[in-house]
Amino acid sequence: MPHLLNRQTSGEHLETLYAFSAWLAGTGMSLFIQTTTGLIAIIQTIHIAALATVAVSALLLSLRLAGRGFTSEPLARLAQRFVKTIWVMLVLLLVTGLLLIIAEPARTITNPAFYWKMAMLAAVVVITVWLSRVARREAERPSPAAVAAGVIALLLWAGIMIAGRLIAYTESL
Amino acid sequence: MNNFLQAIQDSALGIAVAESWFPYVESIHVVALALVAGSIFVVDTRLIWKTSRGLPFTHVASRLLPWTWGAFVAAAITGTLLFISNATGYAQNTPFIIKIILLALAGANMAYFHFVTFRDVAAWDMGRPPSNAIVAGYLSLIIWAGVLFFGRLIGFV
Repeated sequence: MPHLLNRQTSGEHLETLYAFSAWLAGTGMSLFIQTTTGLIAIIQTIHIAALATVAVSALLLSLRLAGRGFTSEPLARLAQRFVKTIWVMLVLLLVTGLLLIIAEPARTITNPAFYWKMAMLAAVVVITVWLSRVARREAERPSPAAVAAGVIALLLWAGIMIAGRLIAYTESL
Repeated sequence: MNNFLQAIQDSALGIAVAESWFPYVESIHVVALALVAGSIFVVDTRLIWKTSRGLPFTHVASRLLPWTWGAFVAAAITGTLLFISNATGYAQNTPFIIKIILLALAGANMAYFHFVTFRDVAAWDMGRPPSNAIVAGYLSLIIWAGVLFFGRLIGFV
């Protein structure tokens, strides 16, 4: 596969990452996950199912901000339950994601697609925190900025999923 | 059959996917299947009376199923493209075969629900669905979890 993404990192920084990755891959926890048949696929399946739930929760929140979707539910209540779903699923994503990094550190720790994914994740968390506040305050008529932020959040979730899949194809630095 | 699979694999499209498009087509496939699975999860958990209790079942279903179907079409198109890139290989890939069987079971479960259980929805739309609807909801959740798992396993074989 060709380089899909590029990222400049200093040599020293990279060496530290490689050393950390090698140490992690030799830990008992990593070896356990690596050698238990099917465990990585099971963890990945939970990761994908949680991501699917987050994506649709974000979709329902963004639709409702734009006056569509579950219109018979007040915006504040809808935002409360779907933002809560997003946070619960994010915890599950972080736990399963960490287990996957521990199992195969060389696959992610030096992978540019992984860092793209984390940058988009940080951005979408900030947007979601803001949107949940907007939904609580602005009751029924969210500002165009909030509607636009909802659309951006959806694009970021799509980007996170795409970058996540491209981790498998992107060469390490 | 094998000749046909070999022919589509050797077609210009099959070769293009295999040699350059695969990661991108697969990424779109993941986004599409996340929308399929996530929207089904929201509808199913309402059906088994665990979420969205304040909303009528038909409201939840009618707002989500167009997304489910739209995303399913995208997943089917991208899935077909991925398949033809290595048709002879996937045809013998056990997780792939199990995934296709599970998709057929999900369709059968949905058809039975739609044509039989759903007919008297007016009686339970606002409240707790009857036990046969709840069974359909649990079956759907289990089958789709299987689709995700065996889908992920395809790449491991």
